[in-house]
Amino acid sequence: MNFDDAVRLTEILLGFAFAQQSIEHFKSFPNEQRLFIPRFVLAVLLMIGFQTAWVAGLLFLSGLAMLHRFQGPYNGGSDRMSLLVLFCLCLVYLAPTQRWQEIAFGYLALQLVFSYFFSGWVKIVNPEWRSGRALCDVFQFSVYPASESLRQWSKSPRVLFVMAWGVMVFELIFPLLLLSRISLVIALIVAAGFHFANACLFGLNRFFWIWISAYPSILWFQLRFITAN
Amino acid sequence: MFHILKLLLPAVIPSWRFFDVIAPSPRIQFALLNSANAPSDNDYEWCEFRPRPAHLSFLQMLGRMFWNPERNESLFLVSCAERIVQQPTQHSEDEILKRIIAELKTNHSDSTGETTHLQFRLLLVQRQDSRLQQQVVFHSRIQSLSTQDKT
Repeated sequence: MNFDDAVRLTEILLGFAFAQQSIEHFKSFPNEQRLFIPRFVLAVLLMIGFQTAWVAGLLFLSGLAMLHRFQGPYNGGSDRMSLLVLFCLCLVYLAPTQRWQEIAFGYLALQLVFSYFFSGWVKIVNPEWRSGRALCDVFQFSVYPASESLRQWSKSPRVLFVMAWGVMVFELIFPLLLLSRISLVIALIVAAGFHFANACLFGLNRFFWIWISAYPSILWFQLRFITAN
Repeated sequence: MFHILKLLLPAVIPSWRFFDVIAPSPRIQFALLNSANAPSDNDYEWCEFRPRPAHLSFLQMLGRMFWNPERNESLFLVSCAERIVQQPTQHSEDEILKRIIAELKTNHSDSTGETTHLQFRLLLVQRQDSRLQQQVVFHSRIQSLSTQDKT
């Protein structure tokens, strides 16, 4: 995947993610509609590739307006990732040379790797995660399970122990999976499956769409800097 | 401007500390009142705001990949509740009151009956050894149901 294709694919996936987020606010309060209806229009323009530099700039401004309106992110980590992807895209458009464009887009790729690695690191240094207790707590009393029946999973500590270690090991070895094309593709499929499971079990649908919008950057980054001869 | 930059910084230089510790978990409960005078906590019937469904089919989960506004709003209210627990702000309290009132008027207009006011409280649920404990940590102001913020 060359640089231009990766940036274009990021625009399309990001536009889709923003359109999906925006539609969810169409029936909300008037001051939210005023933010999200224009954001939906801009997201569609980004998807079809119309004046993408200006459109991304306006989307970034609308992201700042959202931060002000909700006094922080509306949807935690997914809003922060949205701003990060948009920030890097804007830097790509503003960069004066190809080298600076690659640095900006490469920053997104590195942050994507960090998003898995550091999430794994902060878990594995915590004894409650290592024992599987933390994942039991998530299902037993946290706000995340999307239905009451999912709380029953907390009564299967062995299954959750295996799941907790599976998640931690995958997140920690993610950087190593960049070393070959096939391992990276498999890693991204597994990671997308992980986000899909989080969306189903915890209702975190926005994380799924926004994280996969950053995947083209890592596919390009690997070809450009790691497996390039 | 400085405030917006402070909010933006964790997005462009993230820490990626997802689920590092499982913190005490907030619950939002509300009570419908007949007046603006607050009797003691036990005189109210406290209801959980927007309880989660008993069960979701796989098809419903798939549908929520594309259309999940209620759940995402609930997660935003959890953020507001966490902000109140850390440091109460008018904004977070307003957001929770506004959305409870909107929900009551839209989906439960029959249950409000003769009541004129609303209050919510925050409970923190946490595990202490092997038992779950809950503790009331915040009471909102008492809000008239007729002064819904239209914005």
